[in-house]
Amino acid sequence: MNKIDRSQVEAELKKFVGADVYIHSEATSFVFVRNFKVNVTHAFIAGDGPYRAAFRFDGHGWLRMEALTHAEVDGNGRLLLAGFDDRGRMNVALHVGKEPFPE
Amino acid sequence: MNKNKKLLAVFAHPDDESFICGGTLAKYAAEGADITLVSATRGEMGRRMGNPPYLNRETIPAARESELQEACKCLGIRRLIFFDIRDKTVEFQDEESLIGRIEALIHEIDPDVVLTFHEKLGGHPDHCAIGKAATAAFRRAGRGSLYFISFGDSMEYPERYGYTRKDIFKIDIQAHLKSKLASFRAHRCQTEIDESIWRPDKEALSRFGRYEYFIQGSPAVKGQPHDNLFPA
Repeated sequence: MNKIDRSQVEAELKKFVGADVYIHSEATSFVFVRNFKVNVTHAFIAGDGPYRAAFRFDGHGWLRMEALTHAEVDGNGRLLLAGFDDRGRMNVALHVGKEPFPE
Repeated sequence: MNKNKKLLAVFAHPDDESFICGGTLAKYAAEGADITLVSATRGEMGRRMGNPPYLNRETIPAARESELQEACKCLGIRRLIFFDIRDKTVEFQDEESLIGRIEALIHEIDPDVVLTFHEKLGGHPDHCAIGKAATAAFRRAGRGSLYFISFGDSMEYPERYGYTRKDIFKIDIQAHLKSKLASFRAHRCQTEIDESIWRPDKEALSRFGRYEYFIQGSPAVKGQPHDNLFPA
């Protein structure tokens, strides 16, 4: 995982606009949702670090997450965003891919 | 001493075996016991991702699997079985089929000792769920001795948990602390946050207690001393 470069992540997020995507979203100590499928219509990143990211989907949906610090595009073209504390513990994760993530 | 003895440990996450009872497992392995470990999950939903973080949700399952394999080598655990349940979802699995899988293993291995989590004192929903299923499987199989693992030296004071001293087995692991430390270090992404583990051995070892404690989960064999999980 690398520290988020906002413009780079923004460009990666835009690649999913107009596509059906699978999302893994978690607030680590509280909730996770794995493999919900939506059609992304808008994608955003905001903030100066830590960052906020949001998707508009299916004409009526929002997903917004904050406290994102790190990003990686993995070998399968999936965008993996995560937020870690200063000791490497995950607070949040937001993963987007065009295929389902392993269950 | 414990040659030809068999032990089955049924836990929830990679590192449960090392962090909670690694000294005892190392001791019995060193004495010749054949140990099988079940890890219900790969711990893939854990918070710790290395320090600084080098893992993500998609890479952590394989990393923790290989860390656990390494920890098994450190402790002398010969056989490792994953149940392939997603971390944090053990309590939502079909309980009958979970019990059935564990009971089948008990029949196959015929262990003298089964270790698992206490279904109420497990401390994490996955721990309690796998402990409950393993306890039910043990009762159905109707053989061997069952013990519940416990955290630190909490069972020095069993009355606080509704137990008495005679329910508690206290294992001296002094001679096996080096193996326990090696197993902690094998779980690198989980222990990097804990600086003391990575200090020179002598200092790192000083943080470990001399004993690990177990709650009796089945009637003890008459006259069985409480410093050995294996009945004579």
